[in-house]
Amino acid sequence: MEILKVEHLSKTYGTGEAKVEALKDACFSLQKGEFAAVVGESGSGKSTLLNCVGGLDTPTAGKVLLDGQDLFAMKENKRTVFRRQNIGFIFQSFQLIPELNVEQNIIFPILLDYQKPDKKRVDEILEVLGLSDRRHHLPGQLSGGQQQRVAIGRALIMRPMLVLADEPTGNLDSKNSQDVMDLLMKASRYYQQTILMITHNENLTANVDRVLKVRDGELSDLGGVRA
Amino acid sequence: MREMKRYLDLIPISARQRKRQSRMTRLCIILAVFLVASIFSMADMEIQAQIYRTIQDYGSWHTVFRGLDEEQVRLVGERAEVEASARYAATNYRLDQGYTVEGKETVICGFDESFQEMMVQADVPEGHFPVNETEAVFTQSVKRQLGVDLGDTVTLAAPDGQEIEFTVSGFTSDTSLITSEDAFGMFLNVETYAEYFMDATQDKDFELYVEFSPYCNIQKTISDICEQTGISRDSVQENTQLMALMFQTSDSQMQQLYVVAAMLSVLVMAAGILMISSSMNSNVSQRTQFFGMMRCLGADTKQVRQYVRREALNWCRSAIPVGLILSLVMVWALCAVLRFLSPYYFGDMPVFGISIPGLIAGAAVGIVTVLLAARAPAKQAAKVSPLTAVSGNDGTTHAAKKAANTRMFHVETALGIHHASGSRKNYILMAGSFAFSIILFLSFSPVIDFMNHALRPLQPSASDLSIISRDNTCSVLKDLAEELEKDPAVEKVYGRSYAYSVPARSGEESFKVQLISYEEDQFDWARADLTEGSLEEAEKGDGVLAVYMNAKRGFDIGDELTLEIGGQEKTVKVSGRLAESMFDVTDESANLICSEELFRELTGESDYTIIDLQFNSRVTDQDVEEIRELAGENVTVSDNRMSNSEVKGGYYSFALFLYGFLAVIALISVFNIINSISMSVSARIREYGAMRAIGMSSRQMIRMVAAEAVTYVAWGIAIGCAAGLSLNYKIYSILVTDRWGTPWYLPAGALAVIVAAVALAAAAAVRGPAKRIREMSIVDTISAL
Repeated sequence: MEILKVEHLSKTYGTGEAKVEALKDACFSLQKGEFAAVVGESGSGKSTLLNCVGGLDTPTAGKVLLDGQDLFAMKENKRTVFRRQNIGFIFQSFQLIPELNVEQNIIFPILLDYQKPDKKRVDEILEVLGLSDRRHHLPGQLSGGQQQRVAIGRALIMRPMLVLADEPTGNLDSKNSQDVMDLLMKASRYYQQTILMITHNENLTANVDRVLKVRDGELSDLGGVRA
Repeated sequence: MREMKRYLDLIPISARQRKRQSRMTRLCIILAVFLVASIFSMADMEIQAQIYRTIQDYGSWHTVFRGLDEEQVRLVGERAEVEASARYAATNYRLDQGYTVEGKETVICGFDESFQEMMVQADVPEGHFPVNETEAVFTQSVKRQLGVDLGDTVTLAAPDGQEIEFTVSGFTSDTSLITSEDAFGMFLNVETYAEYFMDATQDKDFELYVEFSPYCNIQKTISDICEQTGISRDSVQENTQLMALMFQTSDSQMQQLYVVAAMLSVLVMAAGILMISSSMNSNVSQRTQFFGMMRCLGADTKQVRQYVRREALNWCRSAIPVGLILSLVMVWALCAVLRFLSPYYFGDMPVFGISIPGLIAGAAVGIVTVLLAARAPAKQAAKVSPLTAVSGNDGTTHAAKKAANTRMFHVETALGIHHASGSRKNYILMAGSFAFSIILFLSFSPVIDFMNHALRPLQPSASDLSIISRDNTCSVLKDLAEELEKDPAVEKVYGRSYAYSVPARSGEESFKVQLISYEEDQFDWARADLTEGSLEEAEKGDGVLAVYMNAKRGFDIGDELTLEIGGQEKTVKVSGRLAESMFDVTDESANLICSEELFRELTGESDYTIIDLQFNSRVTDQDVEEIRELAGENVTVSDNRMSNSEVKGGYYSFALFLYGFLAVIALISVFNIINSISMSVSARIREYGAMRAIGMSSRQMIRMVAAEAVTYVAWGIAIGCAAGLSLNYKIYSILVTDRWGTPWYLPAGALAVIVAAVALAAAAAVRGPAKRIREMSIVDTISAL
């Protein structure tokens, strides 16, 4: 089942001589439960791709269809709510809310929807993340690896159609990086979670379903790498 | 781009990068400097104008010594602190001793020539000061009415029949006494005066007028002189108004005013300091990270301190002059309005006056507070390790100490409240700075009540024309009042009858009272001054109203007083108390106010001592002349129209001056709140970017900022009202209750104005950040991390 469809996506910054084509006519799609990695050098345009796919940035041309719905045909407010309910974000620098504890950070998107969180689901996620005994800790009291696990929990809590991860291991040591990758893999395998991850670390792509490469704004599909 | 030669060159580069932050910090310094400088400058200009006016009206002398012999006069005159001293004496000052020139009562003054330095009225613009015993200076009225000129001879007739001839050596201007009483005046030197008039002088001696150096401690010098000469301190009289304006008086009421002035000054300074501290504290975490990064790159603490100091001075360099210039413009504008409204009081104010103390106060508050407040983030960064400081996860205000309460409120509201209250220091400074606006406003508002009590002629009872019995008896016919009521130029006619020095008794205590009758209008006006009891009983003739005298002497409601009038004893009951009388009353005896019927019953008199008139706008000088003629010969007609309009102008000017203060405070409160909230949002803008990325809608973001603003403002209002009302009560007691007995009242109007201003400012404060949040690029914000 096709979850994400990206059609002729382009993004240009500046005009005239300062014009930079960050993304050129990118096309690809992801099936439900697929775990794809986007690799490329620094400045190649991979973050621009992720931001456009996530609806954080507006493309110059092209479409992003999530479950058949055109992200950029929606008005700003509707897109925000749609993003909240259907796309989970994981950032390199975690981006936790310092005033909220672990549990509150994880259920933050539910609270923004004015919904009551399902306690069983929260407990299960905390358990999977190995944060049950840290649920009342504030981000400032956690290690980097723990903070990124909280961010993963927050991305998964709404059971989004798509999780976008921007260099999720960029700020972590190798042990914590592996833990994070294991968690993402688990989400993909057991919960059929569709994931699009950006990384410049090609070692992390060993177990993903597909690898896309961005070079000078041009996207190429390197195909599946997993045996 | 400019070449970077040393690390301090980073300051302007960093400022360009963080334009908004820099601008808001500068704006906050500008506002604080503007507040302090304009209020202090306005107060200073007002004091200077009043000093000038007082010197013009009463002279520049500071004290008068009585009973000094020649040796003592010499000793006093030779003291280093004494700038000028002169002997002075006067005869026939009340025009009742029978000294006349061509049949007109003449005031005779004798003084040293140096007296002219201390008294403008003693100046001789035409001719010269008398140098020998045959010469005298006369008032312009003598020149005008007798047609005499310099060198002519004028004969003064003494009450004993002796005639003394003087040669006119000069002319001086008329005083208000001379013109209003249609009299003459003459000046002599002290030798001539002593020869002819010393026996007729009160105390048979000269008084010594002394002007001290403005830089000495006048009270201490007076005490020294008293000790040295052995004269009693009681025989020293002060030029109270001038001394008060120089902050040198020993008058206890004036000293209470100083206490109030000092309290208000401290409050203004504190408001300025709080405004700067709170705004600079709100973006402290970003700056801590920045200094942490500098430490990380190898800057030592001394270099960070140097950087901070230089950066702070850079802000001050542009912000303080702007704040000072704005305050100057504000003061000039206000002075221009004051000069226009009331040339009599403010005509002497300089057009482009500069108050050095005001400017120094503003600049000092700005520089000192900025330097101190700017040190805080650097100190914080120095305390934590460079690594943690640069990560921003420790030692910053953003590192929360406890989690937001998402159970009670929606998450965005809970976060907003937590943003406000998460850092105790920030919370106290922000809520404190908002509270201070209210405190300042409420502390200044009793000065308006003080003004309303102190400037009497604005009262509705102020008369345009008074017809007064010459011998202070009830001899002005009531029929005249009825006649005057028919005059088309007359708006209101109201008469009063007076019975002076009536012996009275209350229990064992005997004293004198002054009994005054009011008619309907005057009872109506008196209602505003009623502090206790019933006005109606007095109006019906069942009781009397007692006017407050002082804290020691007063009457209670229900007290029975026995009056002895015409050899008969009559008893009246006190039915009410008035804070003050609408009309000038004597302080020597108690003042009782009763109805016309009761007055007639008690004294047998049915006519008036004074008839007051208020005119409508159509009145002409011709109308006044006709009334003068109608009133006849046996009365004094006092035309108050000109002085009324002057004092009315004076009142409006003072009001404008005071409301100017209040407007400045309210305006700055509004700007301060808007700027502070905006700075607080700027400090968290990256965090907001992350929230937007996760899915917080703009509306939720705005609710979050609004919750933060409301949290600050609610506490600001609560603290401001509690502390402000206490201070309002204290200041009102000192300024009003202790003097006039008017009890304190809840200043609902002032309270409503400032609370509404603060609340509206908070609402407006959310608008700017809301717009920025809506336009915020999530990608830019996130990638900046």
